[in-house]
Amino acid sequence: MYYEEKVSGGKLVCFSVETAGGAVKKVRITGDFFLHPEDTIVRIEEALAGLAVDAGEDEAERRIMRAVGNSELIGATPGDFARIFKRAVS
Amino acid sequence: MKWRVIPFAEYSAFRNMAVDEAVSESVRNGGPPTIRFYGWNPSAVSVGYFQSMEKEVNVRNCRESGVDMVRRRTGGGAVYHDNKGEITYSVIGKLELFPRDIIASYRLICGWICDSLNLLGIRSEFKPINDIVVNGRKISGNAQTRREGALLQHGTIIYDVDVGRMFSLLNVPDEKIKDKMIATVRERVTSVRQQKNVVKEHAYWALMKGFTTGKEHFTGPLTEEEEARAETIEEERYRKKSWNHMR
Repeated sequence: MYYEEKVSGGKLVCFSVETAGGAVKKVRITGDFFLHPEDTIVRIEEALAGLAVDAGEDEAERRIMRAVGNSELIGATPGDFARIFKRAVS
Repeated sequence: MKWRVIPFAEYSAFRNMAVDEAVSESVRNGGPPTIRFYGWNPSAVSVGYFQSMEKEVNVRNCRESGVDMVRRRTGGGAVYHDNKGEITYSVIGKLELFPRDIIASYRLICGWICDSLNLLGIRSEFKPINDIVVNGRKISGNAQTRREGALLQHGTIIYDVDVGRMFSLLNVPDEKIKDKMIATVRERVTSVRQQKNVVKEHAYWALMKGFTTGKEHFTGPLTEEEEARAETIEEERYRKKSWNHMR
């Protein structure tokens, strides 16, 4: 499952999601945004694994925000990530 | 505090990325903040840390054209680094030297590029997040990472641009509209040469001046330790498929 969007400001965010048994199994986020430190991306991907496919966008955003923590996401927001993730699994 | 300036030299994509990383390590260990100018030989494509190599890059055309492909440690987009068509820089220093706010630090370093272009009579401005534009057309792209107390920002100043060649090496989302995309990018991108008829050496002179004015600095090469680390990092990271194709 895949969805991509050019978010406000022009950066591209792409979500590739594998699901199994109604739950998210694996997430891969790609794009030309910035995230400091960069390794945080793995934390975000892992935070979304296990989420029910029909879970709300709010829950996805909460998980993303927790994973981002003090890291700085530039060119996109956790809300953008949650929306694009949700579109990918829908 | 004295800046070290490493004059322009051409390397492979893998070595260029490894040198930036080796210098970042040396800065963390007390080495001088460093401004480095470099070129790409052979020409290369770099992708941002979060990008998919297969999605962004026409891997087959790059291989057939002898164009190297490398993943950067910085985010941002895919860039075609033409051997003749650009000058690349890196600025590496401890975090304390730069504004804490990331956009403000881009603005500071990109300001040095604007100063340089100004010396050539080219009026440019910083366009957040990471571009420099001339009348709305991009002339420079920049990318930054901050790791363990050190800031690395590298970027390109487009000296001459061949959009057709660029799009033979980068993928476009939809082949059917490729010609239209090329036309749009031609309108949105410019180069030093399009703006002013100066030789590349003149553009480099301006960059050297713009980056160093008002800074105490000395001209110096990489240390032996940095050279050795760069060689190791090149082999262990930037030449590895597991790194370049990790996304």
